[in-house]
Amino acid sequence: MIDADLMALFTTLKMATISTIILLLLGTPLAWWLANMQSKVKVIFEAIVALPIILPPTVLGFYLLIAFAPQSTLGQLWLQLTGSPLAFSFSAIVIGSVLYSLPFVVQPLQRAFEQLGDHYLEAATMLGAKPLDRFFSIVLPMTKASFITAASLGFAHTVGEFGIVLMIGGNIPDQTRVLSIAIFDHVEAFEYAQAQALSLSLLLASFVLLTLVYLLNYKKVSR
Amino acid sequence: MTELLINLTSKKTPTNKQFSLAINQRIENKGITGIFGPSGSGKTTLLRAIAGLEQHLQGEINFNGKTLLNTNNKIFIKAEQRNIGLVFQNSRLFPHLSVYENLIYAQKRSKKSTLNIDKIIVLTELKNLIHKQSQQLSSGEQQRVALARAILAEPQLLLLDEPLSALDQRNKGKMLTLLIKIQQQLNIPMLYVSHSLAELQQSADRLLVLAHGKVIDYGNIHQVIHRLNEQPTDINIHQQTSLALVVKQHDKTHGLTELQLNDQHSLYMPLLNAQQYKQGNSLRCFIFASDISITLQEPFNSSIVNHLKGKITQVSMSTNKQAVLLAINCVQHTFYSQISLMSYKKLNLTQGLKVFIQFKASAIKTLTNSTTQNHIITEENGC
Amino acid sequence: MLISYLRLFLLTFFTLILSSINSTQAAQPLRIAVSSNFAPVLKQLLPEFNQQTGVATQIISGVTGGLYQQIKYGAPYDVFLAADSLRPQKLAQENLIIPHSRKTYAFGQLALYSAKNPKLSWHNLKNITDNKSKRLAIANPKTAPYGKAAQQCLIKQGLWEQLKNHLIIGNNIGQTFQQVRSQAVTMGIVAYSQLKLNKLTGSLLPKNCYSPIKQQLVILKNTSQLEKSQQFSNFLLSSKIQQKIAQFGYLTKANTDD
Repeated sequence: MIDADLMALFTTLKMATISTIILLLLGTPLAWWLANMQSKVKVIFEAIVALPIILPPTVLGFYLLIAFAPQSTLGQLWLQLTGSPLAFSFSAIVIGSVLYSLPFVVQPLQRAFEQLGDHYLEAATMLGAKPLDRFFSIVLPMTKASFITAASLGFAHTVGEFGIVLMIGGNIPDQTRVLSIAIFDHVEAFEYAQAQALSLSLLLASFVLLTLVYLLNYKKVSR
Repeated sequence: MTELLINLTSKKTPTNKQFSLAINQRIENKGITGIFGPSGSGKTTLLRAIAGLEQHLQGEINFNGKTLLNTNNKIFIKAEQRNIGLVFQNSRLFPHLSVYENLIYAQKRSKKSTLNIDKIIVLTELKNLIHKQSQQLSSGEQQRVALARAILAEPQLLLLDEPLSALDQRNKGKMLTLLIKIQQQLNIPMLYVSHSLAELQQSADRLLVLAHGKVIDYGNIHQVIHRLNEQPTDINIHQQTSLALVVKQHDKTHGLTELQLNDQHSLYMPLLNAQQYKQGNSLRCFIFASDISITLQEPFNSSIVNHLKGKITQVSMSTNKQAVLLAINCVQHTFYSQISLMSYKKLNLTQGLKVFIQFKASAIKTLTNSTTQNHIITEENGC
Repeated sequence: MLISYLRLFLLTFFTLILSSINSTQAAQPLRIAVSSNFAPVLKQLLPEFNQQTGVATQIISGVTGGLYQQIKYGAPYDVFLAADSLRPQKLAQENLIIPHSRKTYAFGQLALYSAKNPKLSWHNLKNITDNKSKRLAIANPKTAPYGKAAQQCLIKQGLWEQLKNHLIIGNNIGQTFQQVRSQAVTMGIVAYSQLKLNKLTGSLLPKNCYSPIKQQLVILKNTSQLEKSQQFSNFLLSSKIQQKIAQFGYLTKANTDD
């Protein structure tokens, strides 16, 4: 692997890690809200969350590109806040990945919360536990496996993301060129050996990660 | 002001048309208050409203002078801030915590923390279980842990929602004894919901009877049970005489325990465990009306050990007109006897007539020695 | 608890913002966005430029259309080497380039290529395509300049009507080349430079059957390194480098007739 590829690997890991943290911080309350929503409007929100699964990444990427552009309100705001444009920055690909991977984090969590029900939460309430206390003392430990699943799916999905990152990141070396784009570049340039080496490492890393996740889940279930 | 004031009606929602609750009741916050009624009568809803877990109700709840709910003034004290405990039907122990951790969970969140956890463990007989996971416990053990956990939160009021319904007969008696012991030792007021009159007859000081979301009766446990005998309108119970009598002595040679009715009169029942039922203590017991028979002459040389002289105070016909229920006043106690229409006519019984009642020792029952369940008579479990 | 959650959330958020601030402070290399068909050539030319001028460079390769979109929405590139003249023209109209920086750096050439049959010649294409089972790959005439040129030649040759429903259309010339090279399609009209670069032989299409595929470069208005960009433009257009570009299978001003 050449330096540029190592750089892409580093960028990918950085992007995936930060995205996963944000996904968990954002996805948990969202999943909780959806799981406890009584109204029929719920299905609309569920559909919105699930949209990135169906939408071609390039479509989502294109809309994000318009939203992040310095001409847009969001782009302006970001520019004023940070002094640098949002589009084609590392922050942009993180935001893009968060949106794109959101259903992969929200859905397993929502399902876990729904399955958990309110039996144990009522019991905790009657012992004087306040909402956040209940979340950390009951919900989190009882749905740990789903959190691991959600986090690793979010992480893996972010690592594998291509279309959006290419669109809003701009393939800038050392900033927004991630592994998937580096592989694409190698293929485009007929550097098949390098493309294969990178693909293989991505494949192996993903395989190891997912195996670990399922192993953890398996242990949890069989205990 | 140790009382609970409840004035609740259910909100009319499109999804909740058929069930309506309309309760306006003052409940003394002392000892054990039983809440009795058939399923669907609103017992659990009432309990959950007091706990703060039920949101779809209108009205007011006032506890020891503090407003817990007032929908007109938009007051709703959150469940976790009410300092009220709840033992659920299915113990709801946290499965990711051990028994001990479940107890610590409650103690850590208690506002007072005056109870010693080890003492409560001894009291609830959990010593050998504390390091187990909750899944490893039997349902009886689980419910004991749930009770201990609820106590360790040190609530001002403990709600019990059918706490024995998941247990077998033997464990029911054990658990009930424990419950009464805890109530007496720690002096926690309890509201005890059950569809089993036997459980409540054994434990409650007062009884609140619900049917179709409304209060049918409220008052002293024995008086309410006796009133239920006489007015079998909404709730058909096993008609019975409910008593609380002092244990006078255990007569091992004759295999009988003597219960004191007054200075001159005693009743005899099959020998009780002297360790469990100490001399001088009060014993809750009941006699089914169908187990008491009537004679016009004083019985002589009979195998039936209990007989008393009394006066018929009331005669009522059963709804199907096949049996007659008599209320007989003997030694300042009211006893209930159910006899056939034939006997009623043959003996020419009328109100005010002096008669003798008689019943076997084994007719006197407590929950622990009774094999017949004592609850609402329905098609499935009718006698 | 709620506060600690918010704190964690805000911390992550600000770290993200801060990291984006820091990244702009470092000295930036010259960013050259280049159409993927010219990227391999540029890679070989750049070391000389770096040595000559001491200017560090970064290559961002992509499809011309995609790069154009990104530039429109503020991509931080300095120079754009397109595979056509249409996008540079549009950018000029949209006032997104440094005035007068639009230059033609190469002319693309078309070649017929078949991996199985390297001796295949354009002139006997007609005989071969009579056989219906044989398919021909070209780039999308609507979006790719090489595809449009290929269409022009096929029309001129009188083959378009006969072939139009049997063509394999690639998104861009890179995809078309891959399809043919991997033998997924028996033959195709590809860029001559692709053959040269990979040391393959094919049959050049006559220059006069398609309008010139002008590949133009522009210096973007957003550039913060105008001088270096200019240096690079001059470098690429210098006769020495133009000769080298010609060796890679392109036509240059010097060897074009117009």
